[in-house]
Amino acid sequence: MVDAARHPKVDVRTYTEVERVEGFVGNFKVQLREKSRYVIADRCNGCGECAKVCPIEVPNYFDMNLAPRKAIDVPMSQSVPLVYSIDMDACIHCYKCVDACGKLEAIDFSMEDKLVWEDVGSIVVATGYSHFDPSVMPEYGYGRYPNVVTAIEMERLNNSAGPTAGNLIRPSDGANPKRLAIINCVGSRDKRFNPWCSNFCCMYAIKNAILLKQAYPDMDITVYYIDIRTPSKGYEEFYDRARKMDIHFTQGRPSLITEDPETRNLFVHSEDVALGRVTEREYDMVMLNQAAIPQPDADEMSSVLNISQSPGGWFMEYHPKLRPIDTPTDGIFLAGACQGIKDIPASVAQGSAAAARAGRVLHAKEWEIEPVVAVVWEDRCISAKGKKCGLCAKACPYGAIEYEVGKAAHVVTAKCHGCGGCVAECPHNAITQLHFTDAQILAQIHALLAEKPEEKILAFRCNWCSYPGADLAGTSHFEYSANERGLRVMCAARMDADFIYEAFRLGAGAVLYSGCHPQDCHYITGQRVGARRAERLLKAFEKMGMTPGRFRVEWISAAEGDKYARVINEMQATLDSIPKEKLLEEIERLRPQMEKRARRMRETPQVEKALEYSRELETAMTGKEV
Amino acid sequence: MNDTWTPRIVVFQCQYSLYCEADQKWMDTQLPPHIKLIKVPCTGRISPLFVLNAIQGGADGILVSGCQPEKCHFKEGNLGARRQLDEFRRFLTYLGMEEERIRFAWIDLSERGRIQQELADLEETIRTIGPIRRLVTRAIPVGEKL
Amino acid sequence: MSHESSETFADQVRAIPGGEHLEMCYSCGTCVSKCMIQHKFEPEYNPRRLIRKAMMGMKQEAFGDKTTWLCSACDLCYSACPQEIHISGVLLAIRELAIQAGYTTFLKTAVVDELTCVACGLCVEVCPYEAITLVEKPVMFRGKAVTVAHVDPNRCMACGLCAASCRSASIGLPDEFSNEAVIENLWEWMRSPVVEVTE
Repeated sequence: MVDAARHPKVDVRTYTEVERVEGFVGNFKVQLREKSRYVIADRCNGCGECAKVCPIEVPNYFDMNLAPRKAIDVPMSQSVPLVYSIDMDACIHCYKCVDACGKLEAIDFSMEDKLVWEDVGSIVVATGYSHFDPSVMPEYGYGRYPNVVTAIEMERLNNSAGPTAGNLIRPSDGANPKRLAIINCVGSRDKRFNPWCSNFCCMYAIKNAILLKQAYPDMDITVYYIDIRTPSKGYEEFYDRARKMDIHFTQGRPSLITEDPETRNLFVHSEDVALGRVTEREYDMVMLNQAAIPQPDADEMSSVLNISQSPGGWFMEYHPKLRPIDTPTDGIFLAGACQGIKDIPASVAQGSAAAARAGRVLHAKEWEIEPVVAVVWEDRCISAKGKKCGLCAKACPYGAIEYEVGKAAHVVTAKCHGCGGCVAECPHNAITQLHFTDAQILAQIHALLAEKPEEKILAFRCNWCSYPGADLAGTSHFEYSANERGLRVMCAARMDADFIYEAFRLGAGAVLYSGCHPQDCHYITGQRVGARRAERLLKAFEKMGMTPGRFRVEWISAAEGDKYARVINEMQATLDSIPKEKLLEEIERLRPQMEKRARRMRETPQVEKALEYSRELETAMTGKEV
Repeated sequence: MNDTWTPRIVVFQCQYSLYCEADQKWMDTQLPPHIKLIKVPCTGRISPLFVLNAIQGGADGILVSGCQPEKCHFKEGNLGARRQLDEFRRFLTYLGMEEERIRFAWIDLSERGRIQQELADLEETIRTIGPIRRLVTRAIPVGEKL
Repeated sequence: MSHESSETFADQVRAIPGGEHLEMCYSCGTCVSKCMIQHKFEPEYNPRRLIRKAMMGMKQEAFGDKTTWLCSACDLCYSACPQEIHISGVLLAIRELAIQAGYTTFLKTAVVDELTCVACGLCVEVCPYEAITLVEKPVMFRGKAVTVAHVDPNRCMACGLCAASCRSASIGLPDEFSNEAVIENLWEWMRSPVVEVTE
């Protein structure tokens, strides 16, 4: 940290928050709020005279509030930069610090927060994680029983720079504990609080147990666990070492801790799973290994940066396996636990990788993006004619569309990722997506439904989930109806209502509208744009009197090949259950309405040309005139 | 009140009510001889008849120890006991006795050591209000149907 | 290529309302230590193992397990379970299957004295398990169709609430928790001289 602060090309801003982020990859503008320290950083030399004279003591949050600090102080002794700051909520304005500071004149009570704009090329988010508060679990008595402490409190109590100078004492009477219980999975792997495994706590429990056993060899340490997870290199060996040091590992999640009201000793009630017996053991102190949770302001951060969040609140990576460091927004990278809980080696690895990825942006003169971006036909956009619309800007998950009445909508190409939501949402077909133009997709629909359309199941699949899902069904040899005809678009958001109408107009037997599960969408909120449209379509078809099941909406992930096969087979069964005459009659009956609704799409430029091409193809394929 | 007088106390304990091993062990083995422990499957099993018999037999105080409401092993057994025994307790005043002679202790799982405290409190109360007024007792031959 | 597999024991349990989510159990043992029964009553009692037996399809072992019959559905474990499994629901589902297979409880359940029962219905009201019903049946010395209380032994958990509320002492638990046994126990102590406590 000190090295970084001294580096001429590294600018460390502490006590500063990111307020706004604008722009795009390589050209971000970031608004920072430099919070007022009430101490001028350039003048403060970190001598600490001010803290010596300060009469006000506040709890020291760095020591988990186990010890006091002064109202003017540094957050911790290794702070970089070593600049004091005043806690204005506690300060009584006695100005003793000003006198103590003397000629340096570093203290300035009139200081205010400063808002500054900075130009940056790329952004690395490394905001870390927070801790679950176990006081919401009454069974463990944290907050009621003084000798029940959290892992981080234990960390401070057992730290030589901590409030007790490394002498481990229990809070109730200051005695050295002789018997210690460590309870794992407090608030994690718990559907009531956080369903996830917090990744590092098993190793953390073992590390703490070994450290304590080394310092106090006669201490009786028991670790209560559900499963011990030691997946990385050398971890299992470390676990073995702990077992050899006579640290007890008891499989069994304690259901209750009770306290002797006089001695303040704690009794841990747990089943010893290996024995199949309920045990009640007495301890002097209990350490709760609490869950790791996202930072409390992760939601705000994600909206400032326009990056999405996985279920639970962690920041979402672009691809869990292939691009675990990138975010859906180009030029913003993730490092460490903010992306998902990880231990120190993994965080360091991801941090280094993020730096390298960010460096790539800084060194590039040009930036390559996927070619499937959206383009506006300015002459068709009604906004240019002074009418209010803005549906495209609303649909864009990236904020890539600039919209203003009187001007045609404008797509910022560098921000566009090509989900196609705007293209499908535009009521005037004034936007198109390169390589997935309306004309191209319509031509595909025509080709796929050229023969016996009433027997066909036309499946719209999104590129990232349901298309690979269908792939998986194939590679796993799950059989599904041969009448299925798949059509790939980038996202459920691109599945224009007009495509569905057109498919039914041509007499498709059934249409599947499939995409990612809402939380897995590759395009942040693209699935939601598609899902809303699908809802509308379902309602419209119900009103028209279409047989239920002919239009189906399913969210299928890339791992759900079996589901894909099942859905298609169910749709085939639905089709089989309708008598053929009745189906043909229904198609005929609905055709005029479909015609009416799909008309606008067919007016789109290039459509005629594309359809002609597809007709030629059909003729070539089938050998007869369509 | 002479100091040599020792109140007789009957404790009805729901057999599921003491979670902590030490408390149960204390109840089972270390109760002083003037305290009688009667275990029942649930406080709901305590018929007012039992309490009446204890009073007829000359018990000076009665402690009913059960689980917290909503935490009854038999779903709502202790609620039934509450209704029934509370009613009976009010009946004591009618007989010219003090209501304090019947005490309820609804003990939560984590309340280690509370039962000792409750017994001590009850004994303290009984010592201040004195021995119970003896009712005319009816000898019940063993085995007779009640 | 979905195979129509034959129904397993776990499927049978899942099919009964309350028996769902059985497979979520990861054997942490919270339910066992929260439950009073192993502490107080039956050292063999272990809901975690019973759920495991159900998952592994060990049908006979599950039906023969004392755990199947002892859960009183107090649901202390439900609120403590980190996987939010309704454990008593699963256990009762297994019990339901065991009853269907002809197994019966080993608990000393409530018995009705049909000679004195007046069918007031108080016990029906108080029973937390809805185990008591009023039935018409022939009773010796009383008539061919007398309405009396009837206890379903597979539902009764032997809590004794009915015995405490019965106004004619016509329903009760057998052996050590019968009215006679409890009162005799009480009187035996009453008759003994009080041991003076020196202070």
